[in-house]
Amino acid sequence: MKALIERLDARLDAIGERLAKKDFVVPVDLTAGILFFLFGVFVLAVTPAQVTISDKDVVNGRVFPVMLMVLMMICCVFLIGKEVYRMVRKQPLTIKTINLLVEVKALIIFCILLVSFLICKYTERFVIGAVFCCLGFLVYFRCKKPAYYAITVALAVAIWMAFRYLLKVNF
Amino acid sequence: MMEFIGPAAGLLFTLQNILWINLGVFIGSVFAAIPGLSVILCVILFLPVTYRLSAIPGMMFLLGIYCAGGYGGSVSAILINTPGTPHAAATMLDGHPLSKKGRTKAALKIALYASTFGGVFSAIMLLFLGPQVAQIASQLGTAEYFMVCLFGLTIIAGVSGKSMIKGIIAACIGLLISCIGSDPMTSYDRYTFGIPRLYLGLDLAICLIGLFALVEIMSRAEDKKEALHVDTKKMLDDGTLTPDEKKRIRLPIFISSLIGVMVGIIPGTGASEASWFSYNTAKNMSKHKEEFGHGSVEGIAAAEAANNAVTGATLIPLLTLGIPGDGTVAIMLSALMINGLNPGLSLFTTDGDIMYAIMLGLILVNLFMLLQGKLLTRLFAKVVLIPKEILTPIIVIFCFAGAYSVNKNYFDVGVTLIFAVIAWILRKFDMPAVPILLGMVLGKMTETNFRRALFISDGNPKIFFSSVYCLIFLGLIILAVAAIIRGKMVEKKAANKGK
Repeated sequence: MKALIERLDARLDAIGERLAKKDFVVPVDLTAGILFFLFGVFVLAVTPAQVTISDKDVVNGRVFPVMLMVLMMICCVFLIGKEVYRMVRKQPLTIKTINLLVEVKALIIFCILLVSFLICKYTERFVIGAVFCCLGFLVYFRCKKPAYYAITVALAVAIWMAFRYLLKVNF
Repeated sequence: MMEFIGPAAGLLFTLQNILWINLGVFIGSVFAAIPGLSVILCVILFLPVTYRLSAIPGMMFLLGIYCAGGYGGSVSAILINTPGTPHAAATMLDGHPLSKKGRTKAALKIALYASTFGGVFSAIMLLFLGPQVAQIASQLGTAEYFMVCLFGLTIIAGVSGKSMIKGIIAACIGLLISCIGSDPMTSYDRYTFGIPRLYLGLDLAICLIGLFALVEIMSRAEDKKEALHVDTKKMLDDGTLTPDEKKRIRLPIFISSLIGVMVGIIPGTGASEASWFSYNTAKNMSKHKEEFGHGSVEGIAAAEAANNAVTGATLIPLLTLGIPGDGTVAIMLSALMINGLNPGLSLFTTDGDIMYAIMLGLILVNLFMLLQGKLLTRLFAKVVLIPKEILTPIIVIFCFAGAYSVNKNYFDVGVTLIFAVIAWILRKFDMPAVPILLGMVLGKMTETNFRRALFISDGNPKIFFSSVYCLIFLGLIILAVAAIIRGKMVEKKAANKGK
């Protein structure tokens, strides 16, 4: 068993090393500008269907969100314009380096969160999801100390009991 | 004011309140002592707990966390040269060198006393300034209130993060999120996409758990493997300060407390700005400039007094105008409002006994912080060592339990996960999260006042320039934008020079 875990660890380390070397350079301001501009367009497009108004309203419920989206889109145009100007002047763009290993690890963490949530939801027993969450994270951190497993699971059950019996949250 | 003090004291001094204060102080100190966990995260995690409490114990609990967080961050800054919270970074400059000289207890003692003085000073300022500002606030109409909201949002969007434009985009997103649910004026539903659960809107606590807490968990993906080492047995000094040191720290503590209060009143600024500003002021004023960065007692005192002096001052615009001084107190607003307490003059008149109990309670919070600091510092020091393997899942469980307990529905837990993903993407684009929070907090107030003002003026936007207060706030907005742009340009120039 110990040898198997060590082999698995070594394999994960090798994969991690490979992923850690893969960086992506993203023109962050340009991408953000385009993305949020498109988001603004989407919100403006769905607003008539999503916000019911009455003819009697002096200022109806669409005015404020539309105003916000227009302001946001103006800011996006500024961001895009600034980056395009830099491109034309052949100046370096505002960039951000995104590491593949970090993103994969974040995705794994999110999966642990999602599965814990789904277990809580479909078993309707919060404590089961909580225990899974503890085990999931301990495995993620490759923890080999049995005491940590015992402490974390005990704490998870204690938190559930505190909410269940002291704060009367029935889950 | 005096007519409220007696009843307020009666409401405050109950066993329940004392217990909640101490629990808050303890949790705040522990959280802030652990590098990577922030006070705002702690307040968000425990906000749902306060939904089951009445206003005074609920606020006392959150204020306990908030104030103790100011001191707790200094523990790890002094012991392991890693600030527990961002605002303890200035403390670290002199705290850790003093600790390395074998005077750990002395450094912690200075931090504790300075924090307590700053906190009490700030609470007293709140007690006296709060009702005066509320009097002025009572003269504001809907158009003026809209300008106040705009002022708060402008500053916060401007000072959070590197780019003002990104700050404004983030604030717009926050304001848009606040539009989800029923229209505050007509009750028609907006942006619910046919999901009935969205009709009541998104609860602030639920969104914030995703936006600030779960995203921190996801950011563990960026962690490098590292181990912290602190030997509490090395805290062998008796913590005694020489009479000369005691004399030298008095003036920096007082001046820094004043700076902390002034910085705290301005929306969008916070403990970090106050502590750096005070640290530099203390350095400039000191006769022992050479000691700064090498274990100066004045440096520790100045930074710590300032970051705790912010605590009461940030509540002044919050309680009087509904404009939070910083992100953490913005969250406290929902703890107040859930108990039917709305910011403004009525808080100091109709609900005066409750409000004065909370303001007096802030003094008590700082005194209990002193007591716990004296008795439990060794424990707080050990807390720094809690492994992330244990801490991470426990925070997640708190997040899920907190999100569920708000409306007793797993739908809300799902919403927190969606917000965690949104926050992660926003981080990748260097978009600050605090303007989103402020947008969500101020959204309803901003929109309602905007629409009411236009309703009064029959749709004429001139109403926003019609009174002296409107013009004052307009002037302040222009001034703030100019100052922020100038600041960013200076920063950019300095960065270019550095290159």
